[in-house]
Parts: sequence; C-alpha cells; structure tokens
Amino acid sequence: MDYLIFSISLMLVYIGLAQLLHIQFGLAGIPNFGVVGFWGLGLYGTGVLYVKLALPLLPSIVMASLLAAVVAYVVAHLVLQRSGQAILAATLALAAIISTLVVSEKDITGGVQGLGTIRFPFSDLDQSNLIFMIMLLVVVCTLLWISGKLRDSRLGRQLVAIRDNEELAASLGKDTAASKRWVFAITCGLMGVLGGMSAPLHQFLVPYQLAPSLTFAVWIALVLGGKGHNLGAIVGVFVTFGLFDILIETYAPVPAEQAILLPNFKLFCYGVLLVMIIMFRPLGILGVDKPRVRAVPKPVPGGHSKPSVEEVEP
Amino acid sequence: MLLLDAIFIGLLEASPLILAAMGFTLIYYLNGFMNIAFAESITYGAYFAILFNIVLGTHFYIAIIPSMLMSGALSVVVYLAIFRPALNRGVGPTEMIILSVGVSFMLRYGLILLVGPENMFLNEPSIKYLQFFGMGATNLQLIALALVLLAAGTLYWMIYNTGLGEQMRGLANNRDLAMASGINPHRTSVAIWFIAGCAGGLSGVFTGVFAQVAPYMGWNVILITMLVTIVAGVGSVRGAVVAAVAAGILSAFITLVTKPLYAEVVLLTAFIGVLTFRGARTA
Repeated sequence: MDYLIFSISLMLVYIGLAQLLHIQFGLAGIPNFGVVGFWGLGLYGTGVLYVKLALPLLPSIVMASLLAAVVAYVVAHLVLQRSGQAILAATLALAAIISTLVVSEKDITGGVQGLGTIRFPFSDLDQSNLIFMIMLLVVVCTLLWISGKLRDSRLGRQLVAIRDNEELAASLGKDTAASKRWVFAITCGLMGVLGGMSAPLHQFLVPYQLAPSLTFAVWIALVLGGKGHNLGAIVGVFVTFGLFDILIETYAPVPAEQAILLPNFKLFCYGVLLVMIIMFRPLGILGVDKPRVRAVPKPVPGGHSKPSVEEVEP
Repeated sequence: MLLLDAIFIGLLEASPLILAAMGFTLIYYLNGFMNIAFAESITYGAYFAILFNIVLGTHFYIAIIPSMLMSGALSVVVYLAIFRPALNRGVGPTEMIILSVGVSFMLRYGLILLVGPENMFLNEPSIKYLQFFGMGATNLQLIALALVLLAAGTLYWMIYNTGLGEQMRGLANNRDLAMASGINPHRTSVAIWFIAGCAGGLSGVFTGVFAQVAPYMGWNVILITMLVTIVAGVGSVRGAVVAAVAAGILSAFITLVTKPLYAEVVLLTAFIGVLTFRGARTA
C-alpha cells in the first residue's frame, strides 16, 4: 500500500511537470529540455534548506522554487530570443551544469553520498504519506485548472500567437520577449515547487536523481498524450509511467533474472512509441483541443463600453 | 608551460570530439535538424569494434575499418527507415529532434537488451609510453590523433573540394534549385548519412579504446557535440573543427587549474554565453 501511494505521488509529480511543459512548449513554443534542472533546483534547494539550515518544509519549498524561477528568468534573458534549437541545447546544458554542481559542491549538497533525511509534513501521523499525496493531488489539480483557464485567456492567446509567428505578434504591439520570459520563469518556478514536493517523497537525495532521463520521460509523456491538448499530459503520463512503471513493473509476473532488464525494455518501448507517434500521429493521442468558442461581442450602440464576453459551451 | 600542456592534452582529448562534431554537423547542415540519434552512431561504432576485435579476434587497427563502415551503414538504414519518411511528411525541426530522441532510446536500449548493460573493453595493441619535450603520451593516443587528423582532413577536403560536397552544400542551401540543376537529393543524402555515420563510428572506436565501451558512451558526448555544432554555426564544418579543438583545450586547461568537474561547468556556461552573444549566426 505504501508503495502504491509512493508510485501515485510520483506519477502526480510527472503529470504536473508534463502539464507545465505543455504550457511552455504546447502553448508558448519554448522547447525546454532542462526540466530536470529546474525540478532539481527545487528538490536540492529544499533539501539543503531543510537539512542544513533546519528550516521548516514549506518555507524551504517556497525559497527553493523562487531560486528556480530566478535562474529560469536569467536563462530566459540569455537565450529565449534565439532559435528553438539553441534554446533546447542551452536548457539541456543548464540541467547538466546543475547536476554537476550538485556533485562537486559536496559541502553543501552532500555530493554523491547524498543528503537526508527529509520528512513528510505531519510526520507524527500514521498516514503522513497519504496526506502528502492528497496535498500533491491538490497542487496538480490546481495546475491543471489554471492551465485550462490560461489557454482561453488573453495571455494564452498571446502565447499561441507568439508560438505561431513571433514577428507578427510583436508587430501588434505585444512585448513578446517579456511575456515569454515571465511565462518561462513562472512555469519553471512551479517545476521547482514540484521538485521541492518531491524531496519528502524521495527522503534521501542523491545526484543520480538529476539525470536527464526525467526530462525525456516528461517529454515523451507530453508528446505521446498530445502537446497541444490540455489533458495530453495526464493521458501521456498514464500511458507511459502508469502503464510501465506501476502496472508492469509492480504487478506483471516476470521471472527475477529478466526483471533486471525490465527498465531497459521499458525505455526501449518509450523510444518505439515516440517514433510511432511522431510518424503517424504527430499531434499525440488526443490531438489539439479547440479553444472554447466565444460569442462575437455585439456592438454596443453609441459607446465604448466593454464588450460582454459570454462563454458558450461547445 | 601550463598553456602548452593544456593545448597538448586538449588536442589528444578533443580528437574523438572533432570527428563526432564533424559528423553531427553534416547531418545538421543537410537536413536542418539536430540528430540526437547520432549518439548511437558513436556507441554502435565502439560495439562493432568489440565484435570484430574481441569476438572475432582481429587486430585492433584492422577492426577499426569494418566497425566504421558498419556504423555508417546503420546510419543509412536509420535514415531510410525513419528520418527520410519523417522529413517527407513535413515534421518540424523541434519535432525531428524529439523523434531522434526516440530513435536514440530505441537503438540504445535495444543494444542493452541484446548485449547487456556491462562495460566492455577493447583489446588494445601494445601500448608504449612515449615522452618528448617533457610531455608524455601513449603511442595509441598519438596514432589516434594522427588518424583523426587524417580522417578530418579527408572529410574537410571532400566537403569543400569534391562534387559530393558541392551537391551537399547546394541541397542544404536551396533544395529546389539544387534539384532543378540535376542533383539527385536521394543519392547525396544517403552518401552524407553514410559518411556522418562513419565519422561517428570512428569517434566511438577511439573513445572506447581510451576508456571503456559502454551503452551510454555516445549519449555522454552528444551534449557537448551538440553545443560545439551550434556554436560553430549551422553546418560549418570548419567551425565545428575549430570549436571542438577549442572545447578540448579549454576543458584541459581548466582541469589542470582546478577540479575536473569544474571544467564541465565552465565549458557549458561558456557555451550558453556564446549562444547568447553570437546572435544571428546561431540561426
């Protein structure tokens, strides 16, 4: 039971990360390949503040996430106006820098020996892991709700316009660079929040957790589910993490000698799935959801009063 | 003296990187996307060398050639089976990169499922430690450097002085115009993917013989290869050579001055800095 709670909590973290990536890549068109870096800043930031400075968990998470957001803002300033491939390489490099620094600065991070122990909040209760899972669920649901709202908001439309044609959006008087920077910084900060919340899940932090495989797992999930669909992240994580990590690795009757190869087989399948999806269904399983149709505002006779916008259910 | 040491060590260390960067650049230039699966050309090159050198028992220097050619053949197969259909379907550059990550996963973990995750070692020929002007290197390192320089020189000559190179540059710059002037895009692409795969395979053989052969060896150098290529500018083979040598020397210099781990951090930070200030040429 404890193991299932752990797996589901981890899955929630993945869903949250994929959802944030949906905002970054699906809406704003920023190919962030440094997901694990921002998540890791949150994770290790929280760990260091909690263990070394003995701060309570919540302030640790908040401060670590702020750090992730600040780093993201600086990186955004440096490379966000370059081509997609340059952004991709730079964010990948940033994640590598962070994981190397975690290894080398062993006075602060514990290096390869690790850093621990980070306890759940309310750790004196029996079901503290269950409570924490529910907290994660609330956070991730809020994220899903916000990103659903964002798409139909003024900012969301602006992001889509930037993604499709940045020059055109800029020519309409939008400060596209600033919008992208802020969206990138905030979403990366939220990745830091998820990282901070992963710290009590893992309890003990080792640099191995900052390997780029997390970035790719999240990307594969998002592309599989549908990068432009608000529910793509959930579907993608269920198909990848839910199916392979939880169902097959835990419950499939595999003989012990083959069980060692199972993670490799899983990643092999991820690769095959990813290739099939991009070849045959490039928009992912769900495709792209239409923005909600809005009624054309009726012209108000004789005035500049705000047009009333009514939502119409599709 | 420190600088001289750094240049020497950097050159020795950069030799596989130069080849990898050249191969990676060719594909980037021709097809306009970063092929992460190029990492597997490197890895498979080393594993083919294991096949010939350890399993079949040929001499190391003889095993280099078939491993290189097989790695090139694999690259062509992957191109024909996956990347060409995808390009014909009009998949965008970022999606092509994600696709190549998928291909890379498929090849790498397929390899692990086939041969297991353990590290393997190539049977190195007799190694002598040579010393001159106060600097030491093994004969293997020097031969590797010479071979790499030879291969890099050939590649360079091919791109800037032969018909194939001209066709490739024509296709990369203006596909329609190139086709209108009678260049067969299919044949040229296959040739370029083959050559790129060979360069990757050769790079893998040397990386493998200096240390060990492991499933992640290509993956570990692909980030630096990618950055070298981007910093060098899209498809500039000259630039790729210069950037790879510079990266090798810089990394050797920092390693001599501080801890090895910082070399990576400084190198990556320098790359991000170059990306920031290079502006338009990074396209």
